[in-house]
Amino acid sequence: MMTRKQVNPFTWLFVALLALIFPACSRKQAAETSANPISAAWTDYTLGEWDRAIAKFDAALTGAPKGSDDQLQALYGLATTWNLRRPGENSQKAIALYQQILDAAPKSDLAAWSLLGLARMKHLVPVGDEPNYDEVMKAYQEVIDRFPNHLAGKEAFIYLNSVLVSSLKERETRRALAMLEKFVQNESNEFVGPAYSLMAVCYTTLNMQDKRLWAEIQSLDKTEVDPTNPFTEFAWQYWNIATIAEFEVGDFNTARKYYNKLLKEYPNDMRDYAAEQALKRMDDLEAKIRREL
Amino acid sequence: MKSLFTFIRSYFAMIVVAATFFWSAALIVLYRTKEAPIGSITLRIGHWQLEASVRDALNVMAQRYRETHPNVYIVQDAIPESVYSQWISTQLMGGTSPDMVEVGHGSVPWNIWLSYYNRYFVPLSHEVNRPNPYNKGTDLERTPLRNTYKDGMRTSYIDEMQEYMSIPLSQFGVRIFYNRTLLRKLTGLDTAPTEYRAFLEVCKKIASQTNQFGKAYVPIAGSAYHFGMWDGMMFDPVTYGAVHKADFNRDGSVGNDELFVAVRTGLLNFHFPPFEAKFKMLREVTDYFQTGYTGLTRDEAVFLFAQQKAVFMTTGTWDARSLQKQAEGQFEVGVMDFPLPKRDDPYYGPIIEGPVYERLFGGFAFSIARTCKHPEIALDFLLFLAGQKQNEELNKIIGWIPCILGTQMDPMLKAFEPHLRGVYGAMNINLGGETMVKWSQLYPSYQVRQMSYDEMIAQFEPFYKEEGLKDFMEQQRDWRRGMQRNEQFLASIRARALAAKGDEATSAWVKYRALTKDRQIWAELGHSRQMKLIDQGPDTGAVGPYEYGPQVLAKIKERLKKEKKN
Repeated sequence: MMTRKQVNPFTWLFVALLALIFPACSRKQAAETSANPISAAWTDYTLGEWDRAIAKFDAALTGAPKGSDDQLQALYGLATTWNLRRPGENSQKAIALYQQILDAAPKSDLAAWSLLGLARMKHLVPVGDEPNYDEVMKAYQEVIDRFPNHLAGKEAFIYLNSVLVSSLKERETRRALAMLEKFVQNESNEFVGPAYSLMAVCYTTLNMQDKRLWAEIQSLDKTEVDPTNPFTEFAWQYWNIATIAEFEVGDFNTARKYYNKLLKEYPNDMRDYAAEQALKRMDDLEAKIRREL
Repeated sequence: MKSLFTFIRSYFAMIVVAATFFWSAALIVLYRTKEAPIGSITLRIGHWQLEASVRDALNVMAQRYRETHPNVYIVQDAIPESVYSQWISTQLMGGTSPDMVEVGHGSVPWNIWLSYYNRYFVPLSHEVNRPNPYNKGTDLERTPLRNTYKDGMRTSYIDEMQEYMSIPLSQFGVRIFYNRTLLRKLTGLDTAPTEYRAFLEVCKKIASQTNQFGKAYVPIAGSAYHFGMWDGMMFDPVTYGAVHKADFNRDGSVGNDELFVAVRTGLLNFHFPPFEAKFKMLREVTDYFQTGYTGLTRDEAVFLFAQQKAVFMTTGTWDARSLQKQAEGQFEVGVMDFPLPKRDDPYYGPIIEGPVYERLFGGFAFSIARTCKHPEIALDFLLFLAGQKQNEELNKIIGWIPCILGTQMDPMLKAFEPHLRGVYGAMNINLGGETMVKWSQLYPSYQVRQMSYDEMIAQFEPFYKEEGLKDFMEQQRDWRRGMQRNEQFLASIRARALAAKGDEATSAWVKYRALTKDRQIWAELGHSRQMKLIDQGPDTGAVGPYEYGPQVLAKIKERLKKEKKN
């Protein structure tokens, strides 16, 4: 057996040489790092690096003064990560963390988002389970009641009504319609476009096609355009309005207007050929009826 | 002397390792010096295009770039496709990737590309709304970069990241290539017919003749690889008629769920004329492929074509120049569109509703690695390649289609001008699971004439109706998985908005609301509608999605009557 004394100095020299060489080959830093620890944690969250995100949120939480905004932000980041990470989610931890925010700063911005987070957890149950819709709607209603003017409250309103509308039952549909009609009266409300779309679904269920067409057009007019996404797609909405006008309402002028908008604004859309056929079909039908009159 | 010998003997292994290391290091330095002088800026560009013309074109363009940037040297890492996914993965993870990397290779799954984009590449969104400086003096001088692209730079935009991540440099398309010399010799024709029946006649004539060795000519060189192109461009669009019957949500296409509901409820079956027509056409055309084509690879078909044993072969623009080069001095290559039956064709005429629709797609796209030491120069070089004149020249040398507006393409590629008006397939039977396994057992037997269409359908349709329900239900569970993924994504967008200030915050919140509306509100409704359709079936008494109901017709008549009176 070789003892330490027997190792030749040249071996140590060689090892030292390798030690000098390998760091030179070390991996370059691929990801950008951020000076703000909360921001760095969210970057890890975006990359799906859940453990790293949790470690960074934890570190930010430890370093933040009690009751500070940084503490709330770290708590919210932690709650969101434990709620939404897959695999390795921990609903109990997430609920406790959201609750901590609600207790610490019940009227804060993050309290609104935390309450919505808790409601979403009731709605987005694991695959194979069915949500308890009474509980889900109650949770959304709580967000609406506690934060009526906050974006989280308005988002909860849209989710609540989408649950009612998705039932495709008349009673629930009428309930949703009454709430939505009131909501769209205030045009400055965020999510007013989706509210009109949900109204269009209500009118479909209730077979009120003229109103459905009107609601779809309102929804299109109120669509918020994401300024940084040039591919905000109106092609589907044009097509949808045109086909409702043609086949459900028989309003060929409106149908022609939106088929033509599709052709003009989306010259590469796959539905363009069908739109051209539709324009011809309407002309042919009108000519046929005129001959018969 | 003795002590030196003893020393060498004692440390021989270590000396060999050290000597090899220093020798390698010296060689690398030597090679790098040859590639670019010491002190210059070297940018590496990695891609999988081994076609000679691509490497030549990039070298020429690098030379052109150096005329105005004398200190910048572009070095290519051309990697075979078969190992590209492993190579790029290890390079990126090791932090040793080229500065510019060709992205989007199909052998790397999309979700992996997504994580690579996130971790290893520089977002380019801030550049796309600025004019490309290399368009100065052209009609695109003031046009934002993204609007200089024929497809609006759509392929560069990654929805999941809400960022532009690459600079595409070419556009691609698929057509039929043919050996014009052989066609002339065997049929007396100078150009191949694009009318379907005439095309089949030509194939029949070719198949009836033999070469000097007594071997029959193969009309169409086919393989499993090539079959997909024939299917997508010719057979599948025949099924478009199903849109009129089964597009229940009237979005213009028939989803696999809609088709399943239509078949399960008896509204459609596999004897629906457009479906039968697809398989009839498939049989008529593939009968002129070489025997056993389903088991052959791309290269085997290309050899057959290059050795002048076959007249036709379908492929994309990416092979155009290579085929031209292979044929040089031996035969003339022609390019034709996929044949289409006439409107008055006794069988296909009433079924085929129009030409085939093609989606524009850009490719040969490069992203900039985060490890790049000179990202501004890498971007500048890519913008140089995307300039109108330069993009035309680059693609002219390669033999591909330029992707920038106002560029001219090689006359040979005129036939690749995409059809932007037309019909598309509407027979997506892929429900996954057992249904797909069953189909993949039966379909090849039909392809190689081991069973007729009726036999295949007699086995498949009952299975699809019954067992498909399980696969359909499993697929339905995906809407909840999808919502979960969207929730995860939206949380990060919300976090960005919460952290933003001023105008940036306004924009970030608009983005958040727009994404929430698009991704999280409709899934539950869609699921409810589909389940209702499965449970209750479509209203068979009602008119189809693209037909006028009696009430609507009455309303139209009333309106026209009023108009007449006025």
